[in-house]
Amino acid sequence: MQFVRQSVMTLKRPTQSTPKKRRTTLTLPADILQEAEGIARARQVNVSTVIAEALSDGLRLQTAAERAEHIIEGYKNAFSGFSDDEMAILDGVILEEDARR
Amino acid sequence: MVSPRFGPFQFDTSAEGWLGRGTNVEGHAWLRQYVALHEIHVSAITVIERIRGYSSLWSRADRLNRERIEAARIAYLNNLGRVWPLDAAVAVVAGEIVALVPEPPSPPRRSHRLIESRQERLARWRFDAMIAATALVAGMTLIHNNAADFESIRGAIERSPTRFPNLGPLELIRCTSLA
Repeated sequence: MQFVRQSVMTLKRPTQSTPKKRRTTLTLPADILQEAEGIARARQVNVSTVIAEALSDGLRLQTAAERAEHIIEGYKNAFSGFSDDEMAILDGVILEEDARR
Repeated sequence: MVSPRFGPFQFDTSAEGWLGRGTNVEGHAWLRQYVALHEIHVSAITVIERIRGYSSLWSRADRLNRERIEAARIAYLNNLGRVWPLDAAVAVVAGEIVALVPEPPSPPRRSHRLIESRQERLARWRFDAMIAATALVAGMTLIHNNAADFESIRGAIERSPTRFPNLGPLELIRCTSLA
């Protein structure tokens, strides 16, 4: 069964989706554009590729930072305003009044 | 200092609470860096402990405080990362751990006027064993805030490797040493 599954997987043609592209005009700082052109020349790709990669990385970092802020805020709302004893209970330590006192 | 890049890690209940509460500035800064890179991974047992805690506080609170506790509970649930299930493999490993270390290594917790019953301590110990088992089966490092219990579990696993074939060692990092 495993062999059959592997064979089927080998027969499948890998699908590679090319992201849709759109032409646009950007105004960029001259030094940044110059740096991008240098990288493009060195890698033998066009400037659009270099700019797209840099933008994609930047957007990914921005999304990650926004997600991080959202999670940190969620924790703040979930745990703030509780005393140490209450926080212990939220951590799974169920404390009761000490009957011996 | 443990780089968040080495993650993802699994978080014990009290470690998640300690880091998420934000009272320790360095720990909180570490968590901020970590969540920009990875999800928070917890065992389903952590969700049980946490929700039981919210419910316990809610049942003791007056009407006004109940609203606050419920809002906090919803915020926690909305913030859940990756929850690892308690499946057959985890159950087997947890069973082995509690058989090797049947009694909790540390005494019941107590605070100013409150105390943890022996029964509750035993239940919490078994939960810790299940959390450790989840990390072990997932092959993830466990971030914890309870050295006495989790180091005992690590020791037991190392002393009886035949009971944990193809698993281990249990990798542990105490949350206070992250940042």
